[in-house]
Amino acid sequence: MADLEKLITVAKETVSRDDVKHLIGWRQGTYGFRVSPHFITEPEEADKLIFSPLCNSNLVNYLTWVEKLPVPRGQEADTRKVALMVKGCDSRAVVQLLIEQGIKREDVIVIGCPCEGVIDLAKAEEMFPNVLEQVEARWDGEKIVFKLPDGEKAVPREDVLADKCLRCRYPNPVLSDVLLGDEVKTEGNDDYADVDGMEEKTTKERWAFWEEQFSSCIRCYSCRNVCPMCYCEDCILDRLNPTWINRSNNISENTAFHLARAFHLAGRCIECGECERVCPVNIPIMTLNRKLTKEVREKFDYDPGTDPDSKPLQASYLPNDQENFIL
Amino acid sequence: MDNMKLPKEKVGDFLAKLGKEKFRVPREIGGRSEFAPPNGESNVDFSLPNTTVPLKSLFYPQTETLYRFEVGDTVPKTSVVAEEMIIMGVRPCDARALTIVDKLFSWDPEDPYYLAKREKATLIGLACQEPRVNCFCTSLGGGPASTEGLDILMTDLGDSYLFQVLTEKGEKICQEAGDILVKSEDNDVQAAEKAHNDAASKIVRGIEADSIPEKLPQLWESDIWKKTADPCLGCGTCTFLCPTCHCFDIQDEIEGIEGRRYRVWDSCMFTEYTLHTSGHNPRPTGRERTRNRINHKYSYYVEKFEVIACVGCGRCINLCPVNIDILNILSQVKEAL
Repeated sequence: MADLEKLITVAKETVSRDDVKHLIGWRQGTYGFRVSPHFITEPEEADKLIFSPLCNSNLVNYLTWVEKLPVPRGQEADTRKVALMVKGCDSRAVVQLLIEQGIKREDVIVIGCPCEGVIDLAKAEEMFPNVLEQVEARWDGEKIVFKLPDGEKAVPREDVLADKCLRCRYPNPVLSDVLLGDEVKTEGNDDYADVDGMEEKTTKERWAFWEEQFSSCIRCYSCRNVCPMCYCEDCILDRLNPTWINRSNNISENTAFHLARAFHLAGRCIECGECERVCPVNIPIMTLNRKLTKEVREKFDYDPGTDPDSKPLQASYLPNDQENFIL
Repeated sequence: MDNMKLPKEKVGDFLAKLGKEKFRVPREIGGRSEFAPPNGESNVDFSLPNTTVPLKSLFYPQTETLYRFEVGDTVPKTSVVAEEMIIMGVRPCDARALTIVDKLFSWDPEDPYYLAKREKATLIGLACQEPRVNCFCTSLGGGPASTEGLDILMTDLGDSYLFQVLTEKGEKICQEAGDILVKSEDNDVQAAEKAHNDAASKIVRGIEADSIPEKLPQLWESDIWKKTADPCLGCGTCTFLCPTCHCFDIQDEIEGIEGRRYRVWDSCMFTEYTLHTSGHNPRPTGRERTRNRINHKYSYYVEKFEVIACVGCGRCINLCPVNIDILNILSQVKEAL
């Protein structure tokens, strides 16, 4: 379990450094089970940092989701280091960004948080609906303990954790500068049962399923914006000349969007599940991503975001790569 | 007109009598809920919480063709499509939102696409009995049984719905329904009033909003905006699913020589929303965009149309992936001055 005292001490030291721009962690949200990313620049703001089963978002996205204000003539942009808290899954995004040279190692300070799994907000809010008071949570063996207004409630972890956590293979950060607490035991075994279930359907059934899902899409692009691996400065979705994907919301354009998004992540998706978590209309986006992840693992024995010294999948041709699936 | 009652077992008959194809009811489709034509056989489920996609999508769909043309045409082929709709199960906040958006679409120039649909629609509301944690309609002049914008207000009485008829359109519906509706009794109205009061007492969040419009202009340079926007992902969830947000973009699609000009929902939270052709962007970061979103609702709209463009439905709070909470922003605004 992550050591909160150590976290706050480390955070205070880090943001006091002249070469650090800010630190990004989590803090309690405005109500209930919600948490919010917490951007801190002053040591006193560090006291609000938390690390608990509620910290379900991946903050690595903020390394590349940087909006650059036009810098007035004679001034220079703030290119100091960014410190951020990562769970095991999140750390793979940092590694994948390093592999792709999307960030430089010296520009980031990684505060690693060994993690026993985070909640699926929908599951928690269904179990305990309409909680206004801020809820605290902690890990306790096979249970997650919530501190609710009417007392503590222990819930079996499999009832409330996100699906990705129940099959997690990387609970400990694969890369960190500081590790908060001892590493946790790795138990997850990912058999891709969800993808198998989808593969067993007929093409017609699969299309009927995805047609309904893609038709639901409102094209808010929260899945793209939250994705730590979606960081093209010039995204195909925003292009108007030529307009690769029309702005109109219909099954044709929505499908084009979802397929483009999924394929651009092939061999790059680190399975943090953020796209699916943020979707306001509950499209099971990870099922698409995981189909590709499974293919990449089976065919190339490649796990993105695990070895910072490796090459990106698409740039790592080996003479003995399988070819039997090439049409 | 007297209050009427619709026995629950007669909901199907009610729909059939008035023409099922005209109805739009709350439905769960894929991972979202929205107003859509009733399903073939299954009963209408009015117990669903307020729909994910607000009512505005029936009057102002995400994508709407404005006109069609062939390359070389000098006169576009305009068609305003509006069919008769009876929308049943509308939450009072969403109906109020329409009355707010009406002001914009009937401003100069009038928007024929929106107004034609409004003209032909009858709204049968459903009083909320189980407000959710982020409902704050009572802070903005609404309430779980607000009648503004509705033609009929339904209240669930257990085995029937009480129909409080509010407008001529509502009366017409009741007359057409004939003996499917039964006369209500005095104690039905009392039961409904009790349900309305109980619901209002279950609303736990809120803000005293009256002073906000005058405070906002003084907070233009406040650090509230940057702090709030730091975690913002710049997605369109809060605006697309807001019942009063109404911004759109206009685009052309051309295939061969045939083309159409259409409008599509746009969001002030998108980077490209204010991006100029020159590359200059007057709202370059989340700070400026968040400031605009709040100011538009609680200041600019008030200045122009004398009403706050927010009904307290709570969708933007429920659905924000990073817990940007409009009530939290508003209380910071109030505390700042």
